[in-house]
Amino acid sequence: MKNRLKVYRAMHDLTQEQLAEKLKVSRQTVIAIESNKYLPSLPLAFRIAALFGVKIEDVFSEGDQKEGRP
Amino acid sequence: MDTYKVRQLRLAALLFMAALVLVSLWLNNYLLAAAGLVTGLLFLLVVRSGAGPAVDERELTIREKAAASTYAIYAGTIGLSAVLLLLMAGRGFVFLEALGLVFAYLTLFLLALYAVSYQFFAHRYGGGDEE
Repeated sequence: MKNRLKVYRAMHDLTQEQLAEKLKVSRQTVIAIESNKYLPSLPLAFRIAALFGVKIEDVFSEGDQKEGRP
Repeated sequence: MDTYKVRQLRLAALLFMAALVLVSLWLNNYLLAAAGLVTGLLFLLVVRSGAGPAVDERELTIREKAAASTYAIYAGTIGLSAVLLLLMAGRGFVFLEALGLVFAYLTLFLLALYAVSYQFFAHRYGGGDEE
């Protein structure tokens, strides 16, 4: 999976800390998702998409990048 | 698991290690006391108390994987040690038989506990055939 979380975060002028607070996760989790080291759960992916007002597939898409879940 | 439960588990683990250190000092087993002290400090430093968000799924994933690795390594080591000790006991090291038996029963207990846990969580997360 690959994602455009960093792009959407920049578009909404949010810091990693602010985004983490809005998503109710730690900043480390935001960093891990942005760097594709951790693949978020479906509920968290929905929360991210809803926060930016887009569809999940706009943020997350299939790709050959490494991921944090089997 | 919420912050309260994490804090309770952390407190229980620390109380166990403190008790172990006190008992080992009382028994003049300074090596065990030192090991308990070092492990306690490592536990305090590494395992977070949940001071951040109440539920962070990445943290939960880390805990799950750490627990699974701990179980696999622990059960494997104890099981292998049990077999080796029992084999050595058969070749004349009779005093090792008791320790081998304890390890063997401990391994069987761990395996049984895993089976029960697996069944419990399979049922909880919908492992049945019903549609």
